Amino acid sequence: MLSFEEQMAFIFLVIICGIIAAGGFYRIYKIVSSGREDYRFDNIVGRFVKALVDVGLQRPIFKARPLASTFHAMIFFGFSFYILVNVNDILEAYVDGWTTIGGGPVANAFNLFSDIFSVFVLVGMIFFLIRRFIGKPKVFEFNKNVLLNPAVQQGGIKRDSLIVGIFILIHVGSRWLGTAFHLVEHGHSDLSMPTASLVASMFSGMSPEAVETGIHVTWWLAMGLIVVFLPYFPYSKHIHLMIAPINLAFERRTPRGMMDKETNPNEPGAKVLTDLPWKQVLDSYACIMCTRCHEVCPAHNSGTPLSPSALVINKRYYINQEGSEIVAGHEKPLLETAIKEDAVWSCTTCMACVEVCPVGNEPMADILQIRRRMVFEAQMPDELAEVLRNLDEQGNSFGESARKRTRWTKGLDIELKDPTKEPVKYLWYVGDFASYNQNCQDTTRKVARVLHAAGVDFGIVMKGEKSAGNDVRRAGEEGLFEALAEDNIQLLEKCQFEEIITTDPHTFNAIKNEYPAMGGHYKVHHYSTFLLDLIKNGQIELKKKVNARVTYHDPCYLGRYNGVFDAPRELMKLCGVELVEMPRNKSNSFCCGAGGGRIWMKDHDDMTQRPSENRIEEAMSLGDIKYFTVACPKDMTMYSDAVKTSGNEGKLEVMDIIDYVLEAMDLPTEAENKEEESAEA
Amino acid sequence: MKIVVPLKQVPDLVEDLELNDEGTGLDYEYLKMKLNEWDDHALEEALQIKEGGSAEVIAVAVDGEDVDKMLYTALAKGADKAVKITGANPYADNQELARVLANAISGMGADLVLVGVQSAGDRDGWLAPILATHLNMPTVSVVTGLEVNDGTATVHKEYSGGIMAEFDVALPAVIGVQAARQTPRYAPVSKVRQIQQSASIEEMAAGDVGDVVTSTVEEMRHPEKSGGARILSSVDEIVEVLKEKGVV
Repeated sequence: MLSFEEQMAFIFLVIICGIIAAGGFYRIYKIVSSGREDYRFDNIVGRFVKALVDVGLQRPIFKARPLASTFHAMIFFGFSFYILVNVNDILEAYVDGWTTIGGGPVANAFNLFSDIFSVFVLVGMIFFLIRRFIGKPKVFEFNKNVLLNPAVQQGGIKRDSLIVGIFILIHVGSRWLGTAFHLVEHGHSDLSMPTASLVASMFSGMSPEAVETGIHVTWWLAMGLIVVFLPYFPYSKHIHLMIAPINLAFERRTPRGMMDKETNPNEPGAKVLTDLPWKQVLDSYACIMCTRCHEVCPAHNSGTPLSPSALVINKRYYINQEGSEIVAGHEKPLLETAIKEDAVWSCTTCMACVEVCPVGNEPMADILQIRRRMVFEAQMPDELAEVLRNLDEQGNSFGESARKRTRWTKGLDIELKDPTKEPVKYLWYVGDFASYNQNCQDTTRKVARVLHAAGVDFGIVMKGEKSAGNDVRRAGEEGLFEALAEDNIQLLEKCQFEEIITTDPHTFNAIKNEYPAMGGHYKVHHYSTFLLDLIKNGQIELKKKVNARVTYHDPCYLGRYNGVFDAPRELMKLCGVELVEMPRNKSNSFCCGAGGGRIWMKDHDDMTQRPSENRIEEAMSLGDIKYFTVACPKDMTMYSDAVKTSGNEGKLEVMDIIDYVLEAMDLPTEAENKEEESAEA
Repeated sequence: MKIVVPLKQVPDLVEDLELNDEGTGLDYEYLKMKLNEWDDHALEEALQIKEGGSAEVIAVAVDGEDVDKMLYTALAKGADKAVKITGANPYADNQELARVLANAISGMGADLVLVGVQSAGDRDGWLAPILATHLNMPTVSVVTGLEVNDGTATVHKEYSGGIMAEFDVALPAVIGVQAARQTPRYAPVSKVRQIQQSASIEEMAAGDVGDVVTSTVEEMRHPEKSGGARILSSVDEIVEVLKEKGVV
């Protein structure tokens, strides 16, 4: 038990530090709530239950870095249990005779857990300190061209880590030593506290006075320190232990592929921090600055000035430094404080940063908001403006006449139906790249041949089709996206069809996730799932096996955005290929670099290696791979180029999944068809 | 300062152009029209002057297909006023167009009239000088740099062979703009849509243009297809072709 003076001093300390800390927490509330509207309050109980279960099982953190995650879990479980330990220690300090030593089975269990968890936390923390300060992993570094808050450049994150690390070591370490002193005081070891007993045996020769002093000093170092630390919390990244579960509870529940509708049409998107929806302001407090997001970011990995991690960290440091100015409405633009203009345009919207984040942050959503405002103020790369103008005038990104949209059908010996004129079961929404890009047109024709041979009743809307607008929206041109979607929906409403099919994951995403909010409700299939169904129900008969060792690249808008991972793989296997996975596969797939309008823009001057070339290297590292398989027209053109520019021409060939299906169907060639016809005649 | 920018629509050249039945001009009925790219530069230059100091920018266009969208786009980019001239031929040649524009602009009190140096739809690139004559103003055309100071415009005119000249022109004046100081800005669709809701386009009758003396087109044809080019990769191939053609 503490002396009366000590008891009073502790209460006084709690009041003083509590008041200061409360001020800090209120400041967080004020800043977060000054963000724009974002409705995340549906099923609030369910949200928090799920978040607590996920956090309790440490599910989100194990998405990557298994070793660090294991040590994190040790600290997490230890710290969580320490809430009980701290309560016990307060009782011990204020209630005469309170002790768990030599108690019943509950007390013994408590002792055992506190003993084990103390060691867990200490070991975990030492691991992290060694990793950061001795291991110095490269992944904590930023590209030199990335905008970083000056305080971060001066080692702010390291200092914060060190302060927090030492705090935890002292807090838990002191408590652990304190228990050892208590054991000495009681004069015996205790099986329920194996490690503390071990330490106690070293203290056994101490005088009772020294032991008593030890108990008091360690109590103050454990309990006093945590109270003193409270006011530091709101300024430290360590506050993630409170905000991360809240942030996870408020996670996006709408489809990933659906962007938020603009809440302020006169000043759309974000110029300053508080233009962001409040959840995205909260993100910066949940961030523990682990840089997992830029580890998976294709822009960061290709040397461009974008680091999603830096973006969130900069937001946080800016809030720390100028919080009162923000609340007073004197804000600096995000383009000065958080992210550089050219970094905004480097994002491929691949969603990898959002997918990997263990605390539910969405750095990509910030970028999309910033783009939206920049485009509204006509601030964008010239080449993007040119493409948007083309899309506005002709409905396609190629600047080609709308009439030439069906040019790919030339040389096709199939009469294609037009659903504006006659009913079809399936409307094939071809999309810009599959229609206009010369690298893709051959693949598009193959799809037509397969569908025709399978007896599918389908048609295309000919020159009336316009770009679905998926990447227009992600480039920030909200108005043009709406115009395109309205035109397309108007056209689709005039057509007679039941369901939509498309080969283009971007189109698939827009129709599936974006069009419902625009009034267009359609059942849409990606050709990978559609073809798989046709094979399974026998409409497509696979007569021969494709003998090849191949790998498969998950398109971002099919996989991460819409969760279609298995269908293309199953399809490929049914065609007989031997599928070898690349190290980065499924939800950890690595973007080709084309999404979000990137394909319309020039490469950044600082680019060290294109993401597509990086991916081709990954495939080559598997050894003896014949085909690199894609299921997206943009991938076909990106990777066909990358195979050449990375010097792998002749060693690796890019194939679309349709190539395997066509080969496995073993259809007669067109020449054979004609022979057959003439023979019949 | 008041800057007037006449805007004109020209056929979108990504489309296949079709001729009228007489073979004397384009068949405009199925043509897709878009803003003349040099007029876009003239508008951009006007907006740059406005943003660099103070000016009122008025966009003027002859009524025709999609002209409203073009004028709203100009407003969305930052023009202060849009005027549509009704009752005139939108496909008129420069002689007639200059008359129509002169009638409309003469009462506006313009200090500067910026026109695109040429358009895909004209035969002579003379809109600036003809318009200047009708408005009784000085003119310089093929201008790539423009600076306005106290009633004088300092302009850079481009001559063939890379020769540049600098002129001081007393205002009011008509300038034929070859290129704005920066790429013409993009007009975000949502801004154009908002402007459509909030702003209005002024209308003005064309008035009498009198007798216009001009040239007429007697025959218009698609360019004749030539044999095209062949890329040869070796000396042997060249020799073979020369033999084939009977040269050697």
